[in-house]
This record gives sequence, structure tokens and C-alpha cells, in this order.
Amino acid sequence: MTAPTPPPAPTVPVHDDRPHRVTKPFFTFGTVSLLIAMGVGYSFGVTRMLLGLGQVTNLDDHNPWGIWISFDVACGVALAAGGFTTAALTDIFGGRKYKALLRPAILTAFLGYLWVAIALSFDLGRYWNIWRPIFNWQGNSVLFEVGMCVTVYLCVLAIEMSPSILEGLKARIDDNEWGAAFLRRIEGPIMAAYRGVRVALPIVIVAGVVLSCMHQSSLGTLMLIAPTKMSPLWDTSVLPLLFLFSAFMVGFPMVILESIYANISFGRSPEMELLTPLSRIIPWFIGLYALLKLGDLAVRWDSLDFLARPGATTSLVVEILVGVVAPFLLLLNKAVRRSMGWLFLSVALIIFGVVLNRINVFLVAYEAPYSTRSYFPSVGEIAMTIAIVSSILFCYRFFVTFFPILPGFQPQRVAELERLREERARTVSPFWTWVIRGSAIAFLLAFVAIYNVVHVTAERGTVKLVESVRRVQAATPVFAKAPSNYPNRPPGYQNFYELKSEFLAGRSDDYEPVPFAHRIHDEITGGDCSACHHRYAADPSDRVGVDLVEYHAQFDVKVGGACAACHQDLQDRPPQGCQRCHAAPSEADSPSRIGLKGAYHRQCIGCHERQATTEYAPTACNSCHHPWTPDHGALVDLSGTPRPQDVTGLCLSCHPRVGRDILATAHWRWQGYSPVLKGYEHRGDVSLTMMVNNTCISIGSNMQECASCHIGYGWVDEKFDFSNPNNIDCLVCHDTTGTYKKEPGRGGLPDPSVDLVAVAKKVGRPTKRECGSCHFASGGGPFTKHGDLEPALVDPPPDLDMHMGQLKMRCQDCHLTIEHRIAGMSMSAPAVEGRVRCERCHGPTPHGVAGVLSRHLDDHVRAVACETCHIPSIARNLPTLLRRDYSQAGADRPAGVDRYGMPQYDKRFGTLTWGKNIVPKYLWSDGTRNASLVGGTIAPSAPVVLNAPVGEKRDPKARIFPFQLHEAVQPYDTVNNVLALPKLLGGYWVDYDWSKAISEGMKLVNVPYSGSYGFVETRMYSSVHHQVVAAGKALGCADCHEPEAITCTRCHRNAAGMALPEHRRAMYPEAKARMDFKSLGYTDDPARVGGRFYVTLGRGVPPR
Amino acid sequence: MDINRRRLLQLGFAAASSAVPVAALAEQPDEAAAAEAKAADGASHVGVLYDTTLCIGCRECEAACNRRNNLPRTPVPFSDREVLRTARRPSDTAFTVVNQYQGSPSADQASLPHTYCKVQCMHCLYPSCVSACIVGALTKAADGAVVYNPTICLGCRYCQIACPFEIPAYEFFKPLTPRVRKCELCTDHEKGTGANPACAAACPTEALVFGRRADLLATAKERIAKRPARYLNRVYGEREVGGTAWMYLVGRPVREIGLLPLPDKAPPARTEAIQHGIFRYGLLPTAFYGLLAGIMWFNHRAHPEDGPGIGEASDDAAQQGAAPDEEVRR
Repeated sequence: MTAPTPPPAPTVPVHDDRPHRVTKPFFTFGTVSLLIAMGVGYSFGVTRMLLGLGQVTNLDDHNPWGIWISFDVACGVALAAGGFTTAALTDIFGGRKYKALLRPAILTAFLGYLWVAIALSFDLGRYWNIWRPIFNWQGNSVLFEVGMCVTVYLCVLAIEMSPSILEGLKARIDDNEWGAAFLRRIEGPIMAAYRGVRVALPIVIVAGVVLSCMHQSSLGTLMLIAPTKMSPLWDTSVLPLLFLFSAFMVGFPMVILESIYANISFGRSPEMELLTPLSRIIPWFIGLYALLKLGDLAVRWDSLDFLARPGATTSLVVEILVGVVAPFLLLLNKAVRRSMGWLFLSVALIIFGVVLNRINVFLVAYEAPYSTRSYFPSVGEIAMTIAIVSSILFCYRFFVTFFPILPGFQPQRVAELERLREERARTVSPFWTWVIRGSAIAFLLAFVAIYNVVHVTAERGTVKLVESVRRVQAATPVFAKAPSNYPNRPPGYQNFYELKSEFLAGRSDDYEPVPFAHRIHDEITGGDCSACHHRYAADPSDRVGVDLVEYHAQFDVKVGGACAACHQDLQDRPPQGCQRCHAAPSEADSPSRIGLKGAYHRQCIGCHERQATTEYAPTACNSCHHPWTPDHGALVDLSGTPRPQDVTGLCLSCHPRVGRDILATAHWRWQGYSPVLKGYEHRGDVSLTMMVNNTCISIGSNMQECASCHIGYGWVDEKFDFSNPNNIDCLVCHDTTGTYKKEPGRGGLPDPSVDLVAVAKKVGRPTKRECGSCHFASGGGPFTKHGDLEPALVDPPPDLDMHMGQLKMRCQDCHLTIEHRIAGMSMSAPAVEGRVRCERCHGPTPHGVAGVLSRHLDDHVRAVACETCHIPSIARNLPTLLRRDYSQAGADRPAGVDRYGMPQYDKRFGTLTWGKNIVPKYLWSDGTRNASLVGGTIAPSAPVVLNAPVGEKRDPKARIFPFQLHEAVQPYDTVNNVLALPKLLGGYWVDYDWSKAISEGMKLVNVPYSGSYGFVETRMYSSVHHQVVAAGKALGCADCHEPEAITCTRCHRNAAGMALPEHRRAMYPEAKARMDFKSLGYTDDPARVGGRFYVTLGRGVPPR
Repeated sequence: MDINRRRLLQLGFAAASSAVPVAALAEQPDEAAAAEAKAADGASHVGVLYDTTLCIGCRECEAACNRRNNLPRTPVPFSDREVLRTARRPSDTAFTVVNQYQGSPSADQASLPHTYCKVQCMHCLYPSCVSACIVGALTKAADGAVVYNPTICLGCRYCQIACPFEIPAYEFFKPLTPRVRKCELCTDHEKGTGANPACAAACPTEALVFGRRADLLATAKERIAKRPARYLNRVYGEREVGGTAWMYLVGRPVREIGLLPLPDKAPPARTEAIQHGIFRYGLLPTAFYGLLAGIMWFNHRAHPEDGPGIGEASDDAAQQGAAPDEEVRR
């Protein structure tokens, strides 16, 4: 270290350390620069006020405090420590020779604290509430401590500043300067205040020192509230003490820095005769601080991880080496203390060290664990900070110019001083002295008392509750509310809130509840009821029960499948239901027991998640829960009587993709890929209009009538535009009001009486009613064609159809629909968009829990379709049409009524034969069928079968399916041997002239007509898939097989005592010879002669 | 007048005399009394038990929270599970979020690919934010919910600094009336009803169970005892930072599912001990004041003609100038 040059000897012959106003021009380059910096910075401040903190700062939830707190506030308070340290030095500890430094130090402190408050108000989100802590005390809060202390200390500083201010005002009066005329009027009060303040000052000065020590240390406590977020390098319980000591340490350096800086900038020689001895005190404070700082680090050394955050460690090292060790060593050197330059450097290092320490504690040490980015101040934050510092400098310049702060070197206003001395001579009387001092002390005592009250109340935990919470307490004691559904809970447990499944209530608008298919799951678990029914309680009041495995262990029974083997009376005595125990969550007798909602979900989700495939065990919410359609009431912006196409246009405006999907579907085009039509397996162009049937004979020649079941508007002839999505009839399927209907004969347009707007506002998922509006009415009217599809299926009793009745399933639950392509196959329509298979839910071995018979029944699945046994009869509710004879039509005969109340004759259709509860026809079918297209030749000698199912006994893919047979006598072209295609509506049904009607009709479908017609017997099948009954109502063994053929002992040779009387009993004995095995290709009852491929029965001799 | 070593020692002793009790009190929190008070309060506290092994990440709790608190509509619907791919934190528009973590929730559920963990205000029994709040805008209600009163809030965001779980969110983009936003256990200030969390009511698997904290803790212990293979033998929130109203049952280390391992000691215990220790009955400041006043009086007695330095336009100038400091004279 080179020896610093010695300072120049004081050149001013008459030294005067009394404060004087600086007589220099106020507006200089420096002050104007400060103004510019303030303008730039405060423009960011204004932006923050207008747009919020987030727009200007880089703060976020993880870094809530930036440099406005760490520098402007924390460093501001620390660097204002010169005020109280100098005051303590000169006025308490008798260092009176330094009092020339006192007024500048107090001014710096005052300005520092003032701008701390101003900077804080920019940082506070609700700055207009800044006064709140005065009334809303929170003694536990360190910040409250700091805030109140700073507020009072700011008042103290104002009092300490007031002699300078009042002297300055007095000087203005005396010198007759600007404003003197006004000030002269209040000269009396000014002087009274001046005298009063001077009397109170000793008390106030001591209070200032105490307050400073309080909040300087409390600032250090501030960050101790977040020990888990603070770097251990700084997080220590002695942090408040460190803050206090560093405030002591930085006080005099700030005074020295400010003195040197002020003197140089005013072109004076520095007051080295004061600064040098003052700087001799500083190393003591540095030493005190360093001792504590390093001692604390040493004590906690083992718990410190210096490598965890290298940046932080570096910052700590710089803080200690540059800010503490270096100035300490420098200031020990006498030459350094005497040299202005070196002294300036030394104190600057100390100040830098303290600033870095505060930034370290408030920014660097604070590391939010979830923060995704590190904080760096934004341009706005930096500019504002510069503006704050500039403001302090500017105000310093202002005050030293207009008020006597700085010591003067030229006693230019001796007269002024003489006058002031005079004033002091006329000092206040002892009475008033003690009144003023007494009130000052009383103020301080009141402050202490209030402080005491705040702390004691806070410590006792009775923090003043906010108004609203007090209301909360008064209005509803939290535990006074007993759950209404369970008033009988034992005391102490009534306080559990019942989960009144808001999930289900709130979501019922969005999702449908899931109908639990109990039987299927029963089968999937292999009949292991214990998979879900895991406990057993003999007593109905027992809400806990015993474990099912333990319970069965006492009977030496292992639980794990085929429960029904023993429990054959499951129907009569079902296992205990879930809700018996799982009534409400966390009840008294077993607090860990969950409620019904949780039980269901956990069982389902838990089990599904464990399955190997999610195909049958989906886990997403909407794979079990169907979403409801949201309320379209507000979405449908229609009024009056719009055209149907306009309604569709509105639908498509939100659902454009659906429109494109529909244009490709079979429901729209009535044609499509036809893999089930023999001879047309690889075609996509076979249309429904090309098919011949024996109900209304031909669609192509009756388009206007038949298109009332088309999901479109206006299909009356071939000019219909299939590419225009606006022609789609959305409402026919998505109506939920039940008021929508199509008008027959208008090509699918709705009945004019329908309020389309009301229907459109209530659209929803199609129900069975909407599907049935066409499919229940096929063949010309309700229950005409399909004996298994009738209007009663909209809401059937369970024994009519267990899927739709018991499980409330919708059509689309089986007829899976993807992009409006609906799975399913009709015996009349060519297109197929997916097949419906029972196995999708029931699996290949569905009879798992039916007891000893299950294997035999599962064997049947290979040869017999599920429907064969589970649809014992069709048209169980309403009669269906079995035969119509068009050859008898056209006569004016009485209709007559058969035993079902149905007409036996109709002029349009001829004689009609109805049947109810009819047994289906059983035929082999591999799923395909022959087709009769328009123009196909027939052999009229025998009954013409229009759509015979394909399959035979030897075909392994074929199984026995039930069918409904439609018989008819219908016209045909006797010359060309093709089925005639008469136009019925608007044709035959007008003038009952077959020849004319056939001629018109065949022209419409471009089939040549010879002119002569006759009548031919035709047969048409429709498949039977609906009106499925449950196991208990399905066909029994003896319904198909001869009772005598059903024996056990033929195969089970040692089955002595095995008697099966119930299997020899037919479930439906009235339907004799239901299954014609001979016509199906068997030589005899397969129970006697064996099945198709694998069983040769009769390995033993049947017992006699 | 001179500053000599004697004076400096006086100064130092004065500082030290104030410092020693500070340091002593700083390390002596009145924990026994605090725990006693806490136990008395905690009997009436409610809470929520969250079983992470049962959470399926359906985000119904988020949706319910959004509805109940009238939070703004989210750009993606709550049924969208894509958002689970990104780690999220509670914000001023979402008081609770569910995050997804790789790996099964517990050793017992090895086939599950993901663990879900819900985050929200934990409603500490001894909340740092309540202790920190300068005006008491954050308070702990009688039922244990930590609730917020925006009327008196300054917006200092000290609560955000204080919260060990990093929960309170702030409306940084509101210029005039930003609020601290966080779960308040669905305390309804308007209707004056106590805690009744919507998320717990919405949970389809009852992974969230709301009830009295003491009962929930017993329930949690019972579940752990019944299924030791599934749960780690700890209840997260039982003792963390002095205990929290929300408690988590976990099947894997908490750090893996985005929870912080936290010490048992409540952070306010330290700051409040320091605060109340230093300023108990105002004794220390008053004594310090008396000490300084005594020194002042002593020095003033030696120089009775001196007024206070700030007000004094001293006459010592000539004396000072005539007898400069020894050091300056060299």
C-alpha cells in the first residue's frame, strides 16, 4: 500500500463550524441532471400506479420483493444511520466537536427515511392503505414493528430538523428575502416553535437513538420469518443484532462520505480536522460487527453448505472481504485516515459492504423453492431506484441552499447569529420548559404503553379478528351444524360434514350417472363377489361387519370365485349392498370408512386400473360417464318460425365437423359398405332404395313417403342434394321435447305445427324415443315390422327388456356411435357401420356364475346366439304383423277386428294377420344374408325369400339366431319374372289400379315393366335382437330339448344322486317344438346325439 | 471535547448491554406456552385429509374451487388432463392445482403410472403469513381457516415472503386494488359461514375428506396402521411448521411429489420470540433510554453551558479552531 499523500493544511484562517446556508446557484448541471433522472424514474412510478406492479417490475409470486424493498427501503434505512449515530455521538456521548457534522447527518437521515416511505408507497399494492397500521395493530408482525418505529422516528427526525428549518425561515425574514412578507406575519409562532423545539430536543434526541436501534435491528428480524427459504449463509437468529451493529458501523462512514462529497461539490476544502478523528472510531464498530458476523459463521460452520449456491457464497465473501475486512485494515492506518482520497475509499467500501449485505439478505439469500426463474430488477425498477436516490440528492441540495445546515467557512451573517443568540437569551420560562419536556416524555411513555399493549395482546394470540371473521363466528359456530341425514350419530362424530356429493349434484348437468351393470362385472370377476362385497355383517345394524375372507375361513371355505356355487339363492338373499356400510364418509364407528361415492369410484377405478387392458376397463371419467348436452337455450339464437334448414345452419355454425361427418353416414346416404350382402360384400353403392321388401314393397318408388324417415329435409326425388349439410335434420334425433315429428309425404320435412325454436333450444343426446321415432315405426306404422322393437321400449318394464328396462340403457350404449356412424345391422338395409355384439360386454363365456350349468351354457354360445335363449318371444307387449296379402287389396270390405283388436283387412294392404307373443323362427346365420335388389328375377313357383340369412350347421361361423318371419302376397311382373314395384302413396292408394301403380313405380326406379302382373308369395326375415330377458326368464333346457334327453349321468358317470328336475321343466311350455332340430340339420335332438363338431354323447349307457 | 478510549468503551458497553439480552432472548422462544395455546385452539380446528394414493388427477377439485370462488374462466376446460403435463403452482386465478408426477403413488400400487398431488394453502396451525401480516389482514378464524381481509391490506406481500409453502398469490397486474389470493377453506365472508371446502365435496374418490383435524389425524393414523405397505409412516402436515390443517397421506417420499420437507418448528416462533423478547413490557427500550439519558445528563453536567448540538449554534468555534485535533496537528 502506497502511503497516502498528506492532506493540505486548513487554509481558512477563521474557521466557523456554525451552520450556514450555501450561497451557490441552485440550478447547476448537477441539479438539472438529477431532475432529469427523477423525471425518467417517476414516469415508471406513474406507470406502476396506473397499470399495476406487474407491468413495471419483474416481481412475481415467487419473488414478491425486489430492489424497491431491498435497496430503496432496507439500504435506505441502513444508510440513514448517520443521523442517529452522530446525534448520539455529539449530544449524548459528548463528542461536541463533531456537531458541525450533525445537521447534515440529520438532514441525510430525514431525507433517507422520507424517501423510504415514498419508495414504499410505490411498492405497496394498496398504497392508499399505508396509514392502516396506525389503527390496525399486529404486534406479532416484525413489519409492524418496523413500520411503526420508522413512522415515529420520521416524526423525531422532523423535530430534529425543525431548528434548521425555523432558523432558515427566520433568516429569510431578517434578510428580507422572497417570501419574507408572508413569513413576517407568522414570525411569532416560528420563534415560539423554535424555542419550544430546542427545549424538547434533548428528550427527542435520545428517543431517536432508541427508536433507531429498535427498527434497525427489527429490519434484520424481518427475513427470519422464512427460515426455509433463506440461505443458511445469512439465516441466523443474531441477524437483528448484526443489522444493528452494521447500522452503527455504517453511520459515521455515511457522514464522512457526505461531508467530503458536499465540500468537494461546493468547492470547499474537506473538513479533515473533523473527519480524521471521527474515522478513528469506525474500526471499533467494524471490529464489533466483524466479531459477531464471523463468530456467528464459525458457530454455524458445520451446518453451512458453501457449495450449494456458489453465487451466494461469492456474494458473502465479497461482502465480508470488501465491505468489512478491507476498510477495517485501511482505517487502522493513520495515513489513510488523514488522506481525503483514501478515507473516501475506505468509507465507500464500508457503505458498499452494508448495501451488499442488505441486498444479500433480502434478495440473494431468499430463494423460493418453487420459483422457476431468478429475479433481476427490471428497467423500471432500476430507473425508479435511481430517481429515489436522485431525489434525496436534489432535496439535500435544496435544503442546504435554503436552510442553515452546512457549516460555513466565512462568517458572512454575523448579525443573524447575534440575533439568534439574543432569541436564546429570551428563552422559555422554567414552567413552559417542563410543560414541553413533560409532554414529550408523556408522548414517549404513551408510545411505550401502546407498544406494550400491542405486544402483550399479540403474544397472547388474541389478535384482533377481522370484522368478517367475527361475523363468521357469531353467525354459525362451525360445529353446531349437525348433518341432517345422520342425526343419530354418536356424539363427537356429528361434526363430520357429510359429503353431500356436490360432485354428483354439480356434475349431473355435465355427466350422466353410470348404470352399474352388476351381472357383467359378476361374470368378469369369475363370480367372485368378494371383489367388491368385501365384508359381511350378520346383524343389519352392524355397520362394520367382519372381513369376508375371515368369515368364510371358519367354514373352511376359501373366497375367490364362483360364490354362486354355494349361494344359489343370490336372488332371494343378495349380498349386502354398498350403502349399508358406506352411507357417509368417515363415520363414528369407523372414521376411515369412506362414503358411497368414494366407495364406488375407488372400487371401479382401482379395479380398472389394475386390468391389463383398458379396452374393457376404461379409467377416464367420460368412458363410464356419458356427458350430458349443455343447455342450448341461450345458444340457439332463433325466434319466430325459421325454416328447418335455418335451424340446421345454426347447428352447423357451431358444429361444422358434425355436418361433414353426417354427409358420410348411412343414415344420411342410405347406402354404404355392405359386407353382409351376399354378392355385394365389397360394394359401397348398394342403396336402401334398391332393395325390395314385402311390406311397402319398394322405397325407390315411394320416395316421398319413405323419406319421412330420412334424416334430411326434402328428399322427394333424385334431385335431392346429398352434399348440402343444411338439409340435415338434426332435430329428429336430438329432440328432447318429444314434440318434434316429421310430416308423412313431404320428403322428411317437419310437421308445420312443430315449434322448431323450442325444440332447438332443448336439444340433447338421442334417447330411445328419438331412435324409435323411425325404427319403432318401420314397416308402415308402430309395431308393424319389428316385433322386438316397439314404443314400449322407450321406458320398458325390466321383464320386457332388461337392458333398456332394468339398466335404463340407451340405444347407443350397444349401437356404438363414432362420428355419427351408428353400429348395427338391419335385415333390410344394406349398409353396415359396425356390428353390435353381446360379447363386447359379456365376453365369450358369459354364464360364469350360473352354478353347475355354466359350462354347459357357455358351450352353447358356440352354436347358439345369445338372443336365441334370451329372447324367448317377441311382440310381447303389442301385436306385430305376420302376413299381408296385397292380392286382396282394393276392395271396400269391413276391416274386422281380430282378438288383439287389430284390423284384419285394410283396403290399402289387403288382408292382415297379426300375432302377439310369437316364437321367433330359428335359423343358422353367419351374419350375412342374400339380397333381393330391384329388377332381380324370381322363381314365382315357390314362395320367394327376399333376404334369407346365410348359414348352415356345418359352417363353424354360423350360429342359430332367432328371426321374425314376414309373409306376404305381393305383385310381380309375370313376363319378366321380377317383383313389381308399385307406387303406393299417390299411386295405388288413390285409384287402386295395380297396373297403373306398378307402371308408375317401376318407371321411377328404371326397371322395365311388361304390363302384366300377378301375385306371388314372399317371405322376409327380420333379425331379433331386442326385448332381451335376464337369466331367470331365459329359455330353459327343456324349452328346446326333449326332457328325457337331458340327463347328467350319461357323461358324469359317477353322478349318482344328481337330479335335475328343474332343467327338465320348460320355462315356456306353451311354445311347443320351439326348435325344429331336423330343419336345422340335426338328425335328432343334439342333447341326445351331440353337437355340431365336438361332442359324441352317450359314452355310457343311460341308466334305466 | 475529545473522543478518547474511555468514551469509546462507554459506547461499546452501551451497545453490548443492549445486545446481550437480545441475543439471549432470540434463542429462547416460549415454545411450551405456544404449544399449550395451540393445543387449546386446535381442538376446534377443521382440516382436510388428502390421501395422495387415492387421487386420480381428475381436477374436479380445481373446477369446484373455480366455481365456488368465482374465479375467472380458464382457457382450457378442467376436463383437459393435458395441463397435468406441466408443473403448476397456485396463482391468483387458481387457488388449488393438481400436479402429476411420474411413478406409482405407493409401492402397493405398482401398476399405476402416475402420482397426483394437490396443492393449496395448508392453513397452518401457527401460520407464518398471519404472524407476518402488518395489519392483521390475514387472520386465523375460529375454525382454523386462514382468511384474508382485503379492506385493510396494504399490499406489502410480506405474507408471500413468509409462507413456507409459497402459497399466497398476488394480483400484480391490478393497479389500485390488488389482493392476496389463496385458499380460504371456502369461508364465506358475505354469508358469514365458516369453512366448507368445495374441493373436498367434489372429490369423486374421497381422497379429500373434510372434518375436525383431530379426527382426521386419527383417521390418517388408522389408515397407515391398516395398510403399512401403502403408506409411508408419516402424515405430512401433522407436525410440519407446527402442524397444518391440511394433512397429506403419502406413499412415497414427499420431495418426489412436489412437497417440501419442512422442519417441525413454526417459523413465527423464532421471530415472535425475538420481537416479544426484546420489547417485552417495553423494558429494554425504556432501560436503554434511561441509560442514554443518564450519559447525556452526565456529559451535560460537565458542560452545563452546552445546549443540544442540533439546535446549538455553538460558540466553540474559536476554541476548536485554536486547538485542532492532535492527529490533524500531526
